Amino acid sequence: MKNTLVFSILSLFLPALLLGSEPEKKNESMPEYGNWKTFTKKDGLPADKVYCVRVDEERTWVGTSHGLALYENGEWTTFTTEDGLAHPGVLAIDVSEMTGDVWIGTLGGLNRYSAGKFETFTQFNSGLPNDVIYSVVCDEKDVWVATGGGAGHYDTYKEDWEIYTEKNAPMHEPWTYSVCAGDEKIFIAAWGGGVIEYQTETGQFRDYVDPDGEMEIDLFPDDGVVHDITTAVSHANGILWVATYFGMSRYDGTQWKGYFDHDSGLASNFINFLKANGDVVWLCTDEGLSSFNGTQWITYKKSGTGGNLIYFNENGTSTKPAPTGISHNFVIGVDFQEDEIWVATSQGLSHGTRIK
Amino acid sequence: MRRNKITKSACIAIFTTILMLQPLAEATAQYKEKDNYGKTPRELIPYGRYQDAYVKHFLEPQPFTGAGRDKKPPSDLTEVRIGLLAPLEGDVLVPQGIQMMQGATLAMEEANKRGGYKGLPFTLIPHNDVGLWGAAANEVVKMSDEGVWAFLGTIDDINSHVALRVALKVELFMVNTGDPDPTYTETGIPWTIRCISDDRQSSYALVDYIYKQKGYKRVAVLRANNRYGRVGVMEFRDAALRVGSPIVLEVRYEVGEIDFDTQLERIRNSNPDAVVLWGNALETGLVLNRMREMGMDHAVFASDRAVNPQFLEVAGKNANGVVSTCQYNPNADHPPLKAFKQNYSERFGMEADVFAAHAYDGMNLIIEAIRKAGLNKALIRDLLSDLKTFQGYQGVTGEIIFDASWNDIGPIFMAEVKDGAFTFSPTSTE
Repeated sequence: MKNTLVFSILSLFLPALLLGSEPEKKNESMPEYGNWKTFTKKDGLPADKVYCVRVDEERTWVGTSHGLALYENGEWTTFTTEDGLAHPGVLAIDVSEMTGDVWIGTLGGLNRYSAGKFETFTQFNSGLPNDVIYSVVCDEKDVWVATGGGAGHYDTYKEDWEIYTEKNAPMHEPWTYSVCAGDEKIFIAAWGGGVIEYQTETGQFRDYVDPDGEMEIDLFPDDGVVHDITTAVSHANGILWVATYFGMSRYDGTQWKGYFDHDSGLASNFINFLKANGDVVWLCTDEGLSSFNGTQWITYKKSGTGGNLIYFNENGTSTKPAPTGISHNFVIGVDFQEDEIWVATSQGLSHGTRIK
Repeated sequence: MRRNKITKSACIAIFTTILMLQPLAEATAQYKEKDNYGKTPRELIPYGRYQDAYVKHFLEPQPFTGAGRDKKPPSDLTEVRIGLLAPLEGDVLVPQGIQMMQGATLAMEEANKRGGYKGLPFTLIPHNDVGLWGAAANEVVKMSDEGVWAFLGTIDDINSHVALRVALKVELFMVNTGDPDPTYTETGIPWTIRCISDDRQSSYALVDYIYKQKGYKRVAVLRANNRYGRVGVMEFRDAALRVGSPIVLEVRYEVGEIDFDTQLERIRNSNPDAVVLWGNALETGLVLNRMREMGMDHAVFASDRAVNPQFLEVAGKNANGVVSTCQYNPNADHPPLKAFKQNYSERFGMEADVFAAHAYDGMNLIIEAIRKAGLNKALIRDLLSDLKTFQGYQGVTGEIIFDASWNDIGPIFMAEVKDGAFTFSPTSTE
């Protein structure tokens, strides 16, 4: 009898242990966007290749391969190295809620745009770890950057830099790719080292890696981050979302869940960037822009002169054509504000509005 | 009676479990392997004896779906620039970096004698990858700013990784000819190929040779405490474990260290019957000498960087009997290789090494791709990575065979020192 009980309990819980837990079902309706409008060089952008976009109330900052652009009151203003930009290639932008300063990560250093002037931080004039800035995030008075030479932390009050590498943090190597803030923690996507969590109060680190320890496989999808090559992190509503070139992971603080293009509505496992907005995460893949609220997926793809919306849920997949679409399916960045969304792509910047 | 009761209960429970696990089985069924990644022998597949992986990567090439293929070439060019990222100053790997640059230079000079690109000369734009805090990243940005169309690089695996990430951002193709770190191509970035075999292939060959052919059971490892040592040994360690002979001890030394007694005493105390040395040629030679001085007459095996004149010079007679692997056969009866060696020697006054030969092949791939694709970075990428145009390419280093991650899985060779010189033979795994 005792043995039967043990086996029965095993039977009940083994599948859950192996498959992981499903995210809590959300009642909110999945937002849907349309009325896409595309901006390119012809419209005033410095280049068609758009790396990143950051919305700040009435202003939209756009990083391209050939300069920084600002969209305000229906007009574009561009900034180049002649204006003080550290490098024309702008990979990341964030805006400090505390000061309104714009922090710009470029291929050649970090800029602070404040009161109409650019200030430049490089390896040689500051404690910046490396001049290639893949990601920047403002967390109250602190600015964090992810670079090819480690993660950097700049205290704007003390005007002091700290560098985090494999020497003083649980990273395999100093390479970092993305950084985000949430719940009094900083999360760093460490290339080859999974995700590094830094607790701002205690200064303690924790690392999350793929438990199978192998690069060429994911043994179990829900045992941890799906791959150690992580490309982006975003934290919202207590959920950490992690992008890789091999799928996506979701972590609720106790359990991980993995998502792949073959078992979910994810457009592609190759995810350049992701950003969570409330309960919805937006995934910038090489096959379109996917969104996911825990139960439903919608992917936005360019199709001819219009677009397609691809819906995926437990009942299956369906596609709805739309008169407009994003400008290119190789999506690199995304940001949103209220009912508006901006999408950075390999060929143009797209703006959409919420239609449902 | 009791046993029957338990058995019946267990059967019911197991049947229930199987029913409940059915969805998992169906999901995994979609991922039946088409091929073994990296020519991995079946017995060496991670967890292969116990569990089929939910997802297997690198069985299909990652496409690049970004824009750029319709970009017109500039009309005002006076030269066609190709970059080189290598250790050229301020590092122990500079001799290898110089060889790499010379191999690339020779290929480029020969191409220019044949007319360059539509009458425009190819020009090498060298960049030193040595420096603090990810200097290689900054150098790739500079190359992109300088208008190079693709680049060759590099040897140090940290620098290769750092460079590759920038290569993706600036969309500049990188042909790697000197870094055997398996994880380099395991990043999934579709802006690189590697035309030199990696430490995965070397480790498989060494494990087969040491354990199966020679019959050793207790193997200790002494490695450099750098990424080359750590990542290279990782594959060896895993493979040894999977063939049932976990390494008995792994100890490290710092690059530049000259006193290895502590590590060697620990190895002696672990009672191994063979020792694997994984590091640069200099330290491998010094360690070997000290082993013999200490009366440690164990069989010694070494990583690929030992296949170098410096190792033979440092180790002298002690080198005899040491077995390593080499990514090509420098003594092959292969007319293109013979011509390359002669031309190289005449041009630079020294013998070509493994880095020179592979750089020569890598540069020829870039030149050929530019000639065929034209001056468009995305189209150059497409051609170099299509797994058709250059699949089976016959270089001076032999046949280059790319797997789906663009890693070179062509034949490698065992290298054994006999009478003070390396002799080369095919591996038994070929």
